[in-house]
Amino acid sequence: MSTTYKVPIGPVHVGLKEPVTAWLTLDGERIMDAKLRLGAIHRGIEFMARERNPIQVIYLSERICGICSFSHVLAFIRAIEDLSAIKVPPRGQYIRSLVLELERIHSHILWSGVACYSIGFDSAFHLGMEMRERVMDLLELLTGNRVNYGVATFGGVRWDITPEFAKATRDMIKFYRREFTPFRDIVMEDPIAQARMRGVGVLTKEEAVRYSAVGPVARASGLRVDLRKSSPYEAYSDMPVEPVVPQDYFGAAHGDVLDRFAVRVLEVYQSLDLLEKILDGLPDGPFVAETNLNKVLASLKKAEGVGWGIIEAPRGDDTHIVSLKGGEDNVLWWKVRAPTYASAVSWPLMFRGNELADAPLIINSLDPCVSCMERTLTTNAHGDSNIITKQELIKRCREKTDTLRARGGETR
Amino acid sequence: MSESIEAVFKKTAVKYEDVIDGLKEKFGSDIIKLDVHERFGGSDENAVQSRDLWVSVNLSAFRPFVEYLFKYDFVNFHVISGDDTGENLELNYHFSLFQRARGGRIGVTARVSVPKSDLSMPSIFDLLPGSEYSEREIREMLGVDFVGLPNKALIFLPEDWDEEIKPWRRDETGPSIDLVRELE
Repeated sequence: MSTTYKVPIGPVHVGLKEPVTAWLTLDGERIMDAKLRLGAIHRGIEFMARERNPIQVIYLSERICGICSFSHVLAFIRAIEDLSAIKVPPRGQYIRSLVLELERIHSHILWSGVACYSIGFDSAFHLGMEMRERVMDLLELLTGNRVNYGVATFGGVRWDITPEFAKATRDMIKFYRREFTPFRDIVMEDPIAQARMRGVGVLTKEEAVRYSAVGPVARASGLRVDLRKSSPYEAYSDMPVEPVVPQDYFGAAHGDVLDRFAVRVLEVYQSLDLLEKILDGLPDGPFVAETNLNKVLASLKKAEGVGWGIIEAPRGDDTHIVSLKGGEDNVLWWKVRAPTYASAVSWPLMFRGNELADAPLIINSLDPCVSCMERTLTTNAHGDSNIITKQELIKRCREKTDTLRARGGETR
Repeated sequence: MSESIEAVFKKTAVKYEDVIDGLKEKFGSDIIKLDVHERFGGSDENAVQSRDLWVSVNLSAFRPFVEYLFKYDFVNFHVISGDDTGENLELNYHFSLFQRARGGRIGVTARVSVPKSDLSMPSIFDLLPGSEYSEREIREMLGVDFVGLPNKALIFLPEDWDEEIKPWRRDETGPSIDLVRELE
């Protein structure tokens, strides 16, 4: 006779970076069934938007997520552009794509590090965290911020690319092509990592189609889907983008944690190639259609209807739907469907038949959105820590950005 | 039902004009309105890269409409959005067809109006299990009952939430002012 037990992982758990609860039904160590309970961090952001005008919502949407903040901003902006028929000058489109790719690189490197931590490979975790700083510095050089870049606006972007920034980006591309290889080796060659991740948390190709999985999770199951190809937007309209799928590298797609790891690592290289193409093809001309925000707001006040913005974020397709009503200042309603929302439906399938110890790894293999909380604590040479006030923090942030810019892109 | 449909995304796409013709021929007057949104991109800012269809359908034709989309390609489900328009609730189901060909994707939004006097919708969970969380979200936020959805538990709202309150509604069932706390 077998006895089953119900064990919760979360909402707070050392293996998780964000609050989510997975109720696992166990027979011994084996997971028989899994049920998810979301909502521990639901903030009612869509409700808040009803009392804000579209320009204010740009900055609200940026705060949905600390990692793919630019993806959310762009999906929201494209939804508004869809309903109000605003067009974006080519240079603005290219800069948007450039920031999207930088964001993808920083998200995937961060995840690669965290995935290594989940399997107990701590040295690779520290390597990933250190390596990610290079792209974070570059984002700060362009926008003044490590997260929440405040760079996109309706009809274009708010910052132009300088020749110094372009040079710093090319240096970064060289740096990652040279230095990112340890992670490529982990997924391609390391027998221990492969033994730990192969066959764990499987989502079959058929299930990925039926459950509408998105992004790297869908691609790891062998689906050749990528919105940059099927529905090209911004600079991707001018350049071919082929979905990265494991069968092209391993001969077959297993849809397991290793394949999800491989897809993300290989997508870093893909992003580096795309960045080079974006810089090579960067058109001249204006980078925003209209700089007077009052004019933009006035024209949006006349707009009416529903718009749909959809882009390929680091975690998959990010869908925003927004509605404006003619004569109203504020957004009528707004629906955000982050990629994790879509992939989370197929989460329970990945647990079946796996061992309890693999549960945090399976949860993390989806790359659930994680916010980054840096610059709150410093340590002096003696190892004492002290808490810094908000004002002091802002002052130091600005000093660091100024130093970065004064060095003209010499980020390290 | 969806078990009988092969779960693959087709390699080639059908032209959006042919999809429109097919839908109009099949559903006739059940299609109340059909708009095409064009998506632009690239160094020629007027170049159309892909298109979305926004189709308002009669409530009675909604479920056959979704089933019919499977004739073109296995449907990819995105999300359900919705709003309280007074007498009715307006629901928008966002789908995609043709995920694989370059520039082939056609976004299809099926728009239905559900009267507040009878807030029930046929669930599409059996066709597209990926719709589970969205149907549960619309159920708790707007109060629509999905007939055929196996798990109707709350998904995003707290466990001790008063289920009489529907956060996205604009009538008396919506959140009252004392439930909204303004932060400094």
